Amino acid sequence: MKILLMGHPNVGKSVFFNRLTGAKVFESNYPGTTVDFMKGWMRLEREDVELIDVPGAFSLEPKDRAEEVAVKMLEENRDSVVVCVLDASKVERGLYLALEIIERGYPVVVALNMWDVAEDKNIRIDVEKLERILGVPVVPTIAISGEGFKELVSKIKDAAPVKIEKIIESVGAVSAAASTGEAQAQGGGESAAVS
Amino acid sequence: MKRKLKEVVKVPLSVDERWDLIEKISKQTVEFGAYKHTLKDAIAELTVKPLTGIPVAIAVIYGFWSFFCDFAGTLFTDGFMVKIFDEHWLPWLQSFFLGGLGNPFYALMVDAGHIEDGVLVASDNCFEAFGVLTSGLFIVFGVVLWAVLAFYLIFAILEDIGYLPRLAVLVDTVLHKIGLHGYAIVPTFLSLGCNVPGVTATRPLETRKQRFMMMTLLAIFVPCGAQIGIMQELVPELMGWIFLTLAIGYLGFGFILNKIVLGKSPELIMDVPPYQMPTLRNIGRKLWIRTSRFLLVAVPFVLLGSIIVGLMYLTGAMDWLAAVFGPLLMVWFGVPSETVAPLIAGFLRKDLAVGVLGGLMAQGIMTTFQVFTSVVLLCIYFPCLATFALMLKEENWKEILGSFASLVAMVFVYGGLIHLIGIMLGVA
Amino acid sequence: MNENEKKFGQIYFAVLGAVALAFGAAELIASAGEGFTWGILDSSGASDPMFLPWKAIILLSASLFYLSSVKNFAEVHQIAKAVMASIMIWIVAGMAIWARIASSIPGEETWFNSLEGFLASYAPPYCPEVFLLPFSLVIVYYILKEGET
Repeated sequence: MKILLMGHPNVGKSVFFNRLTGAKVFESNYPGTTVDFMKGWMRLEREDVELIDVPGAFSLEPKDRAEEVAVKMLEENRDSVVVCVLDASKVERGLYLALEIIERGYPVVVALNMWDVAEDKNIRIDVEKLERILGVPVVPTIAISGEGFKELVSKIKDAAPVKIEKIIESVGAVSAAASTGEAQAQGGGESAAVS
Repeated sequence: MKRKLKEVVKVPLSVDERWDLIEKISKQTVEFGAYKHTLKDAIAELTVKPLTGIPVAIAVIYGFWSFFCDFAGTLFTDGFMVKIFDEHWLPWLQSFFLGGLGNPFYALMVDAGHIEDGVLVASDNCFEAFGVLTSGLFIVFGVVLWAVLAFYLIFAILEDIGYLPRLAVLVDTVLHKIGLHGYAIVPTFLSLGCNVPGVTATRPLETRKQRFMMMTLLAIFVPCGAQIGIMQELVPELMGWIFLTLAIGYLGFGFILNKIVLGKSPELIMDVPPYQMPTLRNIGRKLWIRTSRFLLVAVPFVLLGSIIVGLMYLTGAMDWLAAVFGPLLMVWFGVPSETVAPLIAGFLRKDLAVGVLGGLMAQGIMTTFQVFTSVVLLCIYFPCLATFALMLKEENWKEILGSFASLVAMVFVYGGLIHLIGIMLGVA
Repeated sequence: MNENEKKFGQIYFAVLGAVALAFGAAELIASAGEGFTWGILDSSGASDPMFLPWKAIILLSASLFYLSSVKNFAEVHQIAKAVMASIMIWIVAGMAIWARIASSIPGEETWFNSLEGFLASYAPPYCPEVFLLPFSLVIVYYILKEGET
């Protein structure tokens, strides 16, 4: 098993990578390109797992060399878990990439990084609800302070492939539930938010 | 927007369908204007960003250190313990204990005395008496206990407030360069109290390499409360230099060890909780667990060590060792021959050895630089017996041998280097 | 906080920051040279020469925190800087006071200090951070104010 770290450029992915891996990190060129990527090891349930910092990509429909490499790396590592790093203050954009990866059948863990920045911008994300809709683990993180990383790592084992139909269904289901018992859902959301 | 997504599902979705879905999801989960950064969040941010975090860390460590000196040194050791031990305990033992000055058993347990103008005279303080019941007990209960207590008190407070993990994050980048992680500050700080809980705290480290490196660095470059307490008594003016030298050694040899020791060092991910008020109960509990661990594990070894050192002096084994190793130490480290015996005794009782050096210093035998070199050597020289025993328990013989080998190498390289620098500066 | 409180905070912490800057610089100079005692202000570092440069660095950092908090003071991140500066001063000043307490309790020859000896150990001169301490407490008002909103 490998773990791929994916996300847009500038979502703090490299800090993220450093937080997760040890001191021995290899930087290399993707064969035949000038695109650099990082590789390291992280400890998961008493085992060493390879962690690859995939070049930043906005989507899986490649528009530049880096994205091409990202797609290739994803395809080459069919058996990996993808940690998808999102900028919590721009969730929509990040979700696009996350959904694309989920659609391709990869087990995904979503990290809502830069949670503090989102808070700064007065944005609050209902993590529990998002988790319910997507059916994958969602963890708020702050790469710079290390908050949320322990939880993130512990949730990697919970990641499983999700069918996109399921997500579409649960969006419907949740919105139906929301209209009937909004107050209840709100209460649940509050406790999930990181303070 | 109104059309039912269910009907058009195919994998993968088209771009529009995906954006539709995202919009639905975000509508239900993202709220704008709902959260405002609190003062606590803002402070948490200040303490982890390097530019502001480093000055804060400097202030916190100053508080840590300053509290330690005044609590352990001024208030308890100098304020009360010295009086109890020197004015009451020692005279009382001297007046009634079996034998008398010159008797081997008396010398071992109470007072070895010292030669003054060719006459053996009794000691007037527990520091120089070198008996198990005098120096041994004084070191443990008069000096070290308070140092350990002070350290663990502050440590527990920092831990419970939530500052410690943030400090770990702050130093993570620097420590990465030597193959360690921010977490390394936890065993390091604990070891400043006593190496025994410090070694215990290496357990969360994941790989053998990390544990091996951490233990070796702890045992060598981190002085324990006993040593710090006694150095503070003897050479307060040299403390800054000693710590600087040790810190350089810690980082330098960490860097080298990381390069030569095989194995991986994966990141240890620490839980970073939000800042909170510490509870008295929790702090009390931690303080009790750690201090009692020190009392149970370290104290018997310290007492045993003082018996063995005493016996070695009495039987002449120490003189023999001094004669054998003396020339080597003198040439390589540039220390006078008188220091050889305490340096060897340091294997069993570092604290006691610093005491002997203090005596030598008072007699004016050594230059300041020689005192400095000897104290640094003593610190890095060998883990005390208790730490050594615990390391044996935690790791296997092979690794202990590796640790021992790297230790000998380090002591000689580093001690020689200090001597060399001293020669170049013209102070040695 | 209202406009007046903000104005007051800005002026107050600008002045306090400037004073802290001067004290910090004084300690830094003192740590390089002989040190000095000026009236009831003690910058000699006689009790702990090793700590003097260390304290100077902390005071200087605290003063920079104060000064940088002044702009747009009502904003929470700016107040946080002033809070942090105050906490730093509380640490150094607290430790200076703690040092006096620790040495005031045991006596020279006797177990406990005499009452005169006890009181005498709290007499001036005091080190600079102790003078900053009461003035830095003003931040508590702003912390409480911030907690309300």
